[in-house]
This record gives sequence, structure tokens and C-alpha cells, in this order.
Amino acid sequence: MTEAEILGAFTRILRDLLGDQSIVLTMDTRREEVPNWDSFGYVTFIVAVEIELGVNFGIAEVESFANVGAIVRRTEALLPPS
Amino acid sequence: MLFNSYEFLFAFLPVALAGFFLLGSVSRVWAIRWIIVASLIFYALWRPLNVLIIGPSIFINYALARSLQHLGQEGKVRSSRVVLMLGIAFNVAFLGYFKYANFLAGAVNDAFGVGLVLERIILPLGISFITFQKIAFLIDVQARRVTTFTVQDYCLFVLFFPQLIAGPIVHYREMMPQFRLAPCKPDPEHLAVGLTLILFGLFKKVVLADGIAPLVSGIYDGAGAAGAVSLLPAWMAAIGFTLQIYFDFSGYTDMALGTARCMGIRFPPNFNSPLKASNIIDFWMRWHMTLTRFLTAYVYNPLALSLTRRRMASGRPGFVGRSATMGAFLSLLVFPTLVTMVVSGVWHGADYLFIAWGFVHGVYLTVNHGWRLVVRRLWPDRGLYDRIMRPAGVVLTFVCVAAAMVLFRSPTVQSAVVLLKGLFGGFGVALPAPLYDRLGRLPEWVQSAGPTEVLGAYYEFKPLFLWIVGLGAIVFACPNTLQLLAPYEPALGFRTGWRAPGLGGRELVWRPTLIWVIVMSIVAFVVALHLGGKSEFLYWQF
Repeated sequence: MTEAEILGAFTRILRDLLGDQSIVLTMDTRREEVPNWDSFGYVTFIVAVEIELGVNFGIAEVESFANVGAIVRRTEALLPPS
Repeated sequence: MLFNSYEFLFAFLPVALAGFFLLGSVSRVWAIRWIIVASLIFYALWRPLNVLIIGPSIFINYALARSLQHLGQEGKVRSSRVVLMLGIAFNVAFLGYFKYANFLAGAVNDAFGVGLVLERIILPLGISFITFQKIAFLIDVQARRVTTFTVQDYCLFVLFFPQLIAGPIVHYREMMPQFRLAPCKPDPEHLAVGLTLILFGLFKKVVLADGIAPLVSGIYDGAGAAGAVSLLPAWMAAIGFTLQIYFDFSGYTDMALGTARCMGIRFPPNFNSPLKASNIIDFWMRWHMTLTRFLTAYVYNPLALSLTRRRMASGRPGFVGRSATMGAFLSLLVFPTLVTMVVSGVWHGADYLFIAWGFVHGVYLTVNHGWRLVVRRLWPDRGLYDRIMRPAGVVLTFVCVAAAMVLFRSPTVQSAVVLLKGLFGGFGVALPAPLYDRLGRLPEWVQSAGPTEVLGAYYEFKPLFLWIVGLGAIVFACPNTLQLLAPYEPALGFRTGWRAPGLGGRELVWRPTLIWVIVMSIVAFVVALHLGGKSEFLYWQF
């Protein structure tokens, strides 16, 4: 998957999670900038990403992602090469 | 030495800053060493024994961190996890002994009547804050987010006096780059912003929080002694204390940020108008933000992640969006939320009431999350929902927070029960005498119509009412300190100003102008009239 495809998947997952079709994620988006994307929704989002894309994040690293781009890049690194 | 004492403001802080700037003009290393020594003196002035208790734990943590660093470099992941677990266990046991041993002994005695007796254990100041920072550092080193550090860096990180006693709870990785780049010499902007923050903080503490405190205390003390408190004073006690702790903690946080900023250091935001929150989730993203960040990262996330993964692995549905089931909601959201908030309560103090306070907030949060899930289906018009429920949510959140504060403030379980019963009208409705007299026969009709007893008043209604109205106006109608100073990034990453209605969309912000010099001079004058009290910041007890 490319960065753009992963970003697209993230956007879809988060829209479904928060029930908000207006959400548009970019690589620079920070969680605080998305309405209602609180810390609780964040964990759910991470697990949803794990399930959908078949990756597994380390518990300690989940807390350290500064923005969506950081999660995308880490996901890309965890995915098997296509 | 209190932040609001003459000793701190006119002796310790000027000397600490002067030494930092003088040595900084010669050598950055010596400036940093000076701040470490100043921090040790600041801590030892409370009780020299504090240093002897905390000192060894700092060096044990440093040794553990070094060990984690070496194991990480050698790629020994499993061993590093074991060392990390040992480190966390050591810190939790350390905190547990000093803060909770007496409480646990008492709880065992209450439950089993065994008569355990412990010597009175000295509680080192700020131990809860210091312990959380040390744990976060070990986790960062194990995760290799921190790869290089010296003993001097580590001591500075743990002991830095502006945040030593009551936070903010900071991460090594957000502080150390700043210390490496700090100018270590007087900078007009840093000093102006820092001193402005200190003045605002002092005003909030010594004028506002300390102003309402005696009136609030009167009701809490009276409730315990009298065994009854009627509806109106019960709510005034709850709301009054909420406003008192709001300005107390906000004032402390401003002063901590301002003190650090004088040295060119920015702390993360820790307090951002929490009473303007339109729901309880939002409240916790604004109140004691660095504690929320810590608990979310190190308690909620690991628990929720492992539970969610385990549930998914067993083939049961997870908690994802609209497909959430009740089972998933209870096990994946309610359980970790309640655990996290009870931990928060326990962290605040070794007391049944703090545990109850944390649990109540856990319940609030789960209700809020449940509501969010349901309301999407029941009320799909988001715009209309926001227009109606945002203001209603602010009121509801405020009422819930204030009611729970009774648990936070009450000196005993018995007085908390009395006040909570009073909040629900369990002891009738007392009215201030002048108001009661003007109601004619209404009280009689109310009494004859139902079980509610209407009593004449006996407490100081008018001054407390005026304080509540005044402080409430500041809370809800004014920008906060961070917003006023937004152009100068008063806290890490905080650059959002406040646009006042009627200012044509312009931001109301502090600037180094004549007008603001006059305003801040008035603030300083009023503060000077109120200085000299011995009232501690409420959060310094944790």
C-alpha cells in the first residue's frame, strides 16, 4: 500500500468510527484538530487500523505518534512489502 | 516555600534567575548546574528530609535508565522489558509506601478489625508528580524515544523547581531540547511573558481563590458538625469550591509556566478553561491536561488496547463505530475508563473520597461516550444538535463537575454524605432570611404541598453568592491567560487566541503596550495588597 492508500483507509475508518463524513485527514492532521477524536476514540481507531490492515503497533509507540503522518509511516513500515 | 510567599517572590526567584543568567553568560553547563542546586534548595526548604528520601530514588531510576539504554543498544528487547517492569514496580512501590501504606493499614483494620499499627510515614512533597515523571522517562528510554542523556540532564528533568511540586507532568523529550537551546541570558520577551503569567497566576490565587475559600470552608465545616445542610447552601458549597479550586490550580499553573518561561522554557499546556467544556470528555482534555495525558498513555491505552486485541482474537465483535455491541462497550470502554479514573482518584490521595470522586468521573465519562453512540442515531441533524446541546452541555458538565467536587473537598466521609444528601434536597430548602421574608405565604404553601421543608437561613448567603457570580463571570466570559498571551506561545504549541464578541473579529491579546502596562500594574497592586497569606495551593498536597 502507498502512503496515499493508507491515508485513504485511515480517513474511511475514522469517518465510520466518529460518524462524521466530513472528516478529511492529511499527513499533518493532529488528533486535537478533529472534532470528537478524543483519547478514547484514538485507541479504538488504532485497533481498527490493526484489524483492517493486519498490523500490530507496540503499546508504547501508540502514545508517541505526533500526527496522522507518523501513524501512516509506521503502518507502511509494518506492512509486508507488496 | 510557597509560590505566593514573600520568600519565593522576592528572594528565591530573583536569586535563582540572577544566578542562572550570570553563570549562563559564562557557561551553559554551570547555569544548568545552578538551577539543579537551586531546585534542591527549593525542595529542601520545605523539609530537608525530603531530599534524603527522593535523592536515592532518583539515582536508582537513573541506573535503571542506563541499563535500559544499554539493553536497547544491544537489541535485548526481552531483557529491557523485564528491567522496565522492575523499574515501574519500584516506583509504584516507592509511591505506595509513602503515600498509601497508612491508608491500606486503615482499610484492613476497617475491614477485618485486626488493629494494624504503622508509624506515621512522612509524605515527601510532590511525590506523586515526581514518580509519574520518572516512570514516563523509563518507558521513553525503553521505547528508545530517549537515546542519550546524562546524570545532569536527568537531575534537571526530575528536579526543575517550577514544576517540582505540582507539575505540569512533563516528558523528557519535550523539555531537554529546550534546555539545550535556552539562551541562559535575560531575554526581554521571555521575561515579560513569564512575569505576566506569574502576576496573573498570583492574582488568581491570592485574590480570587483565597477570597472565596473561607466562605466555602464555612459550609463544609458546618455540614460535618451540624449533620445537615439544606439545598441552597449545599449547591453553593459545591459550586463555590469548584470555582475556588479552578482559580487555585489555574493560578498555580500560570505561575509554574511563568517561572519556567523567565528562563526561556515552555511547559506543555495544563489548564485551558475546563469549565467552558461542553461535555465531560472535553472537560478532561482541559483540566490538568498533563495528568490526563499521562493516565491515557500509560493506563488507559495499554488496558484498552490489550482488551480490544484479546476480544478480537477470540472472534467477538470489537468496539468500532456504529456496530458497537453492549458487551464490547462494557468491556472495552466502560471497564478501562473506570479503572483509569479510579487510578486518577487514588493518585490524588489515599482516601475513600478521592477513590469515589475518580469513580464518579469514570461513570460520567462512560455515560458521555454512551450518549455519543446513541445520539448519532437519535439526532442525526448535527448542526441543530450543536446549537442546542452545546450550551446545555456546558451547564450540565458544570453541574456534574461541581457535584463531584463535594467528594474532593469534604473533610470526612460523613460530611460528604451530608452534603450530597443536601444537594438532592434531603435536608429541605433553606432560603436567606431577607428573601424568605418577602415570599409571603409561598413557603407555607410549599410546605403543605409536599415533604419539602422550607427553613430560614443561617449562613452567609450574600457574600458567597456575590463571589460565585463574580468568579462565574470571569470563568465564562473572559479569555484565559494562555489565550491572552497566545502570540507569544505561553505553553508548548499553544497559539490560539480569543476573539471577543464585539471586537469585530479581532483577537484580545496581551501586548507590551502602555495599556497593558497600566492593566498589569493594577493587577500587581491588587496582588501586593493580598500577599503574605500562608494558604497553600490545593494541588501541592498531592
